[in-house]
Amino acid sequence: MARRVLDVSALEADTADSRALLWWGNLGMMAIEGTIFAMLIATYLYLRMVNLDWPPSTVRDPDILWPAINLGILLLTFIPALILDRAALHDNVPLCKLALAACIVTGAAFFTIQFTVLANLGYKWSDHAYGSVVWTAIGYHMLHVITATGETALLFIYSLVRPIVKKQLLDFRCTAVYWYFVILMWLPFYFIVFVEPYVTRKGY
Amino acid sequence: MTELTVDQPDFSRERALLEKTWAKNPGIAGWLSETGHKSIGLRYIVTAFCFFALGGVEAALMRWQLSRPDNHFLNPDLYNQIFTVHGSTMMFLFAVPVMLGMGIYFVPLMVGTRNVPFPKLNAYGYFVYVAGGLFLYAMFFIGAGPDAGWFSYVPLSGPTFDPGKRADTWAQMITFTEFSALIVAVEITVCAFKMRAPGMSLNRIPLFVWSMIMVSFMVMFAMPAVMLDSTYLIFDRAFSMHFFNRPEGGDPIFFQHMFWFFGHPEVYIIFIPGLGFTSSIITAFTQRKIFGYVAMVSTLVITAFLGFSVWAHHMFATGIPQLGTSFFTAASLMIVIPTGVQIFCWTATMWSGRVRIKTPMMYVFGFFITFIIGGLTGVMLGSVPIDWQVHDTFFVVAHLHYVLIGGAVFPLFGAFHFWFPKWTGRMYSEALGQLSFWLLLVGFNVTFFPMHLLGLYGMPRRVYTYGAQTGWGPMNALASMGAALIALSILTMLINFAMYRRRGPLAGPNPWNADTLEWSLPSPPPSYNFLHIPTVAGMNAVWDAAPDQPYVTGIRFDKREILVTKTLDAEPDHKHEIPGHSLAPFLLAVTSTVGLIGSIFYGWWFTAGMLLSVPILVYWFWPKREEVEEQLARDRGIVMAEEA
Repeated sequence: MARRVLDVSALEADTADSRALLWWGNLGMMAIEGTIFAMLIATYLYLRMVNLDWPPSTVRDPDILWPAINLGILLLTFIPALILDRAALHDNVPLCKLALAACIVTGAAFFTIQFTVLANLGYKWSDHAYGSVVWTAIGYHMLHVITATGETALLFIYSLVRPIVKKQLLDFRCTAVYWYFVILMWLPFYFIVFVEPYVTRKGY
Repeated sequence: MTELTVDQPDFSRERALLEKTWAKNPGIAGWLSETGHKSIGLRYIVTAFCFFALGGVEAALMRWQLSRPDNHFLNPDLYNQIFTVHGSTMMFLFAVPVMLGMGIYFVPLMVGTRNVPFPKLNAYGYFVYVAGGLFLYAMFFIGAGPDAGWFSYVPLSGPTFDPGKRADTWAQMITFTEFSALIVAVEITVCAFKMRAPGMSLNRIPLFVWSMIMVSFMVMFAMPAVMLDSTYLIFDRAFSMHFFNRPEGGDPIFFQHMFWFFGHPEVYIIFIPGLGFTSSIITAFTQRKIFGYVAMVSTLVITAFLGFSVWAHHMFATGIPQLGTSFFTAASLMIVIPTGVQIFCWTATMWSGRVRIKTPMMYVFGFFITFIIGGLTGVMLGSVPIDWQVHDTFFVVAHLHYVLIGGAVFPLFGAFHFWFPKWTGRMYSEALGQLSFWLLLVGFNVTFFPMHLLGLYGMPRRVYTYGAQTGWGPMNALASMGAALIALSILTMLINFAMYRRRGPLAGPNPWNADTLEWSLPSPPPSYNFLHIPTVAGMNAVWDAAPDQPYVTGIRFDKREILVTKTLDAEPDHKHEIPGHSLAPFLLAVTSTVGLIGSIFYGWWFTAGMLLSVPILVYWFWPKREEVEEQLARDRGIVMAEEA
């Protein structure tokens, strides 16, 4: 007796697009981390709500130049990330390597400058609740940039010593998407820390 | 019949290949590197049950202490530690992990696949959970157990009033357990959306799997709140930050907002799997399709959403604005609607079939009774004037135990009996099962019902003793006797399982004639789950299968290959090989533990833990040479030089 079967041997093995399991896992991770980012922003807004003097009057207006330059650098990272994404989709391995290298350079530049931005804030995490939330927010975002840069560096080194197959192309794309996430998450923080004090300084 | 067996292909070769591919490694190293979802799921369940026993011993000590007035069996400090560790254990180390463990075990089986999508990550989650639990108990046994309640409110748990490492222990235990819960949530979501057997469209997913999907989403959006909250607490304590320090612009009430934004969804995270167990059990024991499948799924979704909009009803006594309390009262009362719909759907299902009264079904009835009582006191507590009156009294203790034991433990024990034949291949003793049920039902109500009255008489929570003139003595004595019955019930259940695990009558694949795919497998299921990935023809996969229901071919037997399907209709999409054994998850759990525990003593340990993790992560992700060569040949048609 012949059995009816559903033969899937012709299906491709692994994909490097949104159908892949890793793609979904990556989305899950970003949902979780995005929630933490949202909670951090909620923390800032809540503390702002319960304080009349916000930012505290001892806090001078933030520096503009370096944070703005650094924002530019982070936004610039969007370009190699996009190139990495597209190149991986079209299986263009040399371009992928170039884009990975560019992401590492801009990512490393960003978090290096970010250290000096932190040092020049003029207040410490232990000075007041404002300092606590700003340092935590910037620190948490930096942790993400450092992780993304480290991940990109690992993939870059791998791409130099081993051949690239579909599995790594998927890794490249997930990393690129992660970069989009890290870049986007900085925008509200940038607004809160470096723009908001100028727009609505409470207590003045 | 004979023609059929003669012509039936003999799959012994495939079976042997699968057994070789999915074999467990022997020894301790094999145990530490195991990544099969059934092993990890069972480990979660067994470990969580051990913590449940520890939490139970703590409860017994408290009941002994409170059984008569002016008792000095426990001193106030030890009592504080015991109720804190009891609550933390039951919530973070038992209730959530045991439910997620059931999910890890059954979701891949019910959707018809071979493992979870990220097996190594799954193993890592388990080890992190165990590390967090052991850390809490290690600190407890050396006398540094947390003592500010299972929610550790500031300022009591802040640097001023709680010096030492007690509150840090609590806060970091949260990080460990939530890490593991978040990992499981991603595993279950991806598994249920991308790895279903062909034919299992969204409207054919078993209700238990739906309940685990909703729980996973709730975990993803609720748990980050408490992780961040406990991190703020550690920052305040270790680095002199001021998140909760009013004089420097912080706000202690904010701790409560963040905590309950997690804490209320947490309650649903614990009892929604119970709804899933109940649906599975009722379907099997009435032999009927569940009444109102779409309504059931919708109410699960609605409950999950509403769960996020009621957190402030835990904070009515903090003086939040009146408009706010009205909103949260309304939202809290709305929960009654989806819960009511569920109970009516179950009732209609039972109405239409003939109910077989066996132990799992009795636990379901126990769930109905106790959970409805807990729900009614919940409606009472949702109203601000009553809440103010009974806040921080034993009325709340009674309510929360009715909801959590009624809503989660009763269905869970029902599920243990329901799936015992699947886990062990043997039947438990029906007599002992029913005995344990009656002991639990009576013991539970004798213990917790008097607490309603004690609360109304004004007995506060979290006091280590009370004077004889209060008149609370007799009812407390009664409650303590009930606790002994609960202990007896659990002992009976354990004896039942231990005795019949090897000696009980053989169960066969489907002793209940139940409907989900795990019942189509031998008991216990083989390491690879399905010989062939099945296809599904209806909502009740086993019942709706045609006599010659097609199965999937073309998936390799000599690799850990699985079929990825499309999200909506589960049409075959592509094949994917998932990783096998690895020691990396265990090693990474060790370095994470070093970093997290070290960081409550010195901040730089966190950095050290991260740096130590880097080589392990490289080891985790770096593929083996032969894998690369094979994929290269497959993807690019290139054979490496030395082989050519």
